[in-house]
Amino acid sequence: MTTETPPRVALPGGEMLAWSDLPERRLAEGGPLAALLARLVPAGARVLLVGPHDPALVARLAHAAVTCLLRSHPDGVVLADRGARVVVGGPAGLPADEQWDMVVAAAGLDAVESVEGDRLGWDGVLARLVAAVAPGGTLLLRVDNPLGVHRLVAASPWYADRSDRAWSVGGVLDAGRPANQAQARARLAGAGLRPGAGFAAYPDPDAPTVLVDADELDRRTTSGLFDAMLHGACAGDREATVLQDPARLAVDALHAGLGSTLAPSWLLLAHRPATGTAADPGGRTDLPVALVQTGPPGVGVVEVHAGAGGWRWWASGGTPRSEAAPFASREVAHRDVAALHGPVPEGRLLRTLLLDACLRRDLHTLRHLLRGYATWLGTQAEADGRLAGATALAGTDNVVVDGDEFAVLDPSWRATAPLELDVALARSLWRFAAVLLTGGYAHPWTSTLDVAGLTVVLGGVAGRDLSRATVAAAVEAEAAITAALRGLDAEGRVRLADELRAVSPTDPPAGPHSYQQLREAWLRQREEMTRLSALLKWTEELLTSRERALRRADATINLLSGSLSYRVGRLAITPARLAKRGARAAKRRATAALNQRRPEQEQQ
Amino acid sequence: MHHANHFYGHAHVLARYCGLGEGHPPRINGYVQHGWNIGDGLAPGHPYADRTPSLLWSEQTRRRAWSVGRRNVVTIGAPFAYLLDLRRDDPPEPRREGTIWYPFHGWEGQHVKGDHKELIARIRATEPGPVTVCLYWHEYGMRRVRRLYENAGFRVICHGYRGHWWKDTDPFFLDKQLTELRRHRRVASNRLTSAIFYGIAAGCEPAVYGDPMILSDEDPTFGGTARIRRQWPELHGESVDQATAVEIARAELGTDHRCTPAELRELLGWANLQEDDVDD
Repeated sequence: MTTETPPRVALPGGEMLAWSDLPERRLAEGGPLAALLARLVPAGARVLLVGPHDPALVARLAHAAVTCLLRSHPDGVVLADRGARVVVGGPAGLPADEQWDMVVAAAGLDAVESVEGDRLGWDGVLARLVAAVAPGGTLLLRVDNPLGVHRLVAASPWYADRSDRAWSVGGVLDAGRPANQAQARARLAGAGLRPGAGFAAYPDPDAPTVLVDADELDRRTTSGLFDAMLHGACAGDREATVLQDPARLAVDALHAGLGSTLAPSWLLLAHRPATGTAADPGGRTDLPVALVQTGPPGVGVVEVHAGAGGWRWWASGGTPRSEAAPFASREVAHRDVAALHGPVPEGRLLRTLLLDACLRRDLHTLRHLLRGYATWLGTQAEADGRLAGATALAGTDNVVVDGDEFAVLDPSWRATAPLELDVALARSLWRFAAVLLTGGYAHPWTSTLDVAGLTVVLGGVAGRDLSRATVAAAVEAEAAITAALRGLDAEGRVRLADELRAVSPTDPPAGPHSYQQLREAWLRQREEMTRLSALLKWTEELLTSRERALRRADATINLLSGSLSYRVGRLAITPARLAKRGARAAKRRATAALNQRRPEQEQQ
Repeated sequence: MHHANHFYGHAHVLARYCGLGEGHPPRINGYVQHGWNIGDGLAPGHPYADRTPSLLWSEQTRRRAWSVGRRNVVTIGAPFAYLLDLRRDDPPEPRREGTIWYPFHGWEGQHVKGDHKELIARIRATEPGPVTVCLYWHEYGMRRVRRLYENAGFRVICHGYRGHWWKDTDPFFLDKQLTELRRHRRVASNRLTSAIFYGIAAGCEPAVYGDPMILSDEDPTFGGTARIRRQWPELHGESVDQATAVEIARAELGTDHRCTPAELRELLGWANLQEDDVDD
């Protein structure tokens, strides 16, 4: 008797042989989506992954029986090699008699239909997937937002897509597909499922680094955590070219209660009621409020869970960075996910409060906030006046303010070596000053200040008399810390330090290249030119008037110096003049000698 | 530097506060408001380079300046507020006595219309203690006017010359004024002016009464004395509520917005001075 191994790639028809859908951008260990699936899928469950998913998801679901439905044959081979059972073809190729406990369409429904065969359309594909959900099972469906932040900032319009996969551009004008969360839930209900929780996904629908419970996102509009999460997620792509800053837009949307409405995509959960049971399996309460992946690779996904006492951090710890470990002691900063275990502090993000006060030119609030911040940093200092650990890196973008209480939001970013209190404060204020100036924000100070100057001014508002030398040390510290957290080598660190030292108020901000901000930078330059031209003209006029006054004075002196009384007087004071000249020469010589000696001492 | 920055030795006070000593102050990158003002903080009629920073006393003035088209406006507080900080450790006067009275002055190009004799009678009828009359340089130099006050039994003084085109500025003008204010219990004038706010900040009880003496060519752009009376009625009268006065003076002098020395050096353009910029 022989045992036949069933083929791992089933080909029921409709496969695309020269095509691949697998995402180019892949997050470590599958990112927040994989972490969410790990929570949703119990051991031994039957899971159907519909459409192209990161192969890391298959690895993450090793405890379940995974089937993949793909349209691309090469993709099917890749996933079959990872141990999954693979069906390559259109949705019609799914075995008609089989159902799964969990059906995952986290790449949306567009990449499910093949170019071959008849088209089912969005509703048709959904109906086929719903039929594949076993009673009591769950569908996880991604729906893309035609008006998401990513669309609003895109340099190219969605309807101009000419890429290979755009053989059919399905957009907001197609009434056959849902264009918002409510429509999507209605379609799910119409297909016989019970819609449950929904997650807003930022910033890239294909590889979201942040998943946030949609209801919480809309309800907690001033949450410092959400503010920092959305900003961090959207500011991350430094190479992108966009119309406007997506991070600003996302944070504005959050504050307007539109955080989920403007999310690039949504992940919706819908349940198929089990036959004969009245219990609602859709009301799961064990799902996280948010899942986020930031920082160096290998850190894993950090989750935030709601509990009786508020939100709490939960971190799996991720895979330790084995290759970086030997050098960890040499790095000035690192990420320690183990620090993420306590409650998430409530409050608004300090950066947002400061920006708001700057825009309203509210000096009293700025003073109150910055003094409170500087005082709080001071209370965190060690006996030697230095800040260590998380507070050393507690910048305005990682500190939340609740009333008069300040707290580090994410304590996993830590300085390895302590920083002087003033250097830590100056670093934080320099970063804020750079955001304020290069971002083109209105503020209550003059355009004549450079970034270092504004840092000193902010220090003054905080009640600390910072010197330019302290600010320079803070910029060096910033370069070293950023280099360590980004994993740059020595050359990269030197280049970064040069870039930071050169940041000027007329530069566009760091981060994505935004047309709006490039234009603003150009307007600032033009404004500065106008100011300098006016100043030059005024100075020229003043110079002319002073030269005229000087000529008049010269004429008076000449007139007087020819008089007899002047000559007699001059003769009388000659000894005094000579003595004064001698004294000056001696002073000059002494100063020169001293200056010469000083560098020698410094060399020693 | 604009020569108005030197008026009353303002630039000198700021330089001392910034730790640059008592020598000639370096050039300021902007215009320092040189007197309490119901306009945009700058003196009407002076030529100003567009968009050059205006360094103003109060938030209210900053908002007003912005609203009339000024840009690059920043609130730093009055130089007098910096002087108060420089001299906060002065030993207190053993006894504050009498009133220092500032008859409203115009500047050299203006002529006051009004009756000094009537004003003198009003002062004598109102002030309970000895009166020091502080005349502006221009009127102090007018023997006729000075005699009028001297003959009334008042002590007549002048804080010095405010200076013009960098010439003859008395760098200790404000110092002298502060010293005098601290000797008196009350400060009074026939108009709400800088001196009243300085007096309040120096601990005097303020009073504003008597003929406001309209200037012959007063600029009505910002509403003149009528508006001042409308907007600050609490500060007018022979006796006013001290707590209210202190609060208003604090806001008008921008005391809360006083910068630290390093902060001020940045805002005045003194952060990167060459050695030659600071004269002996």
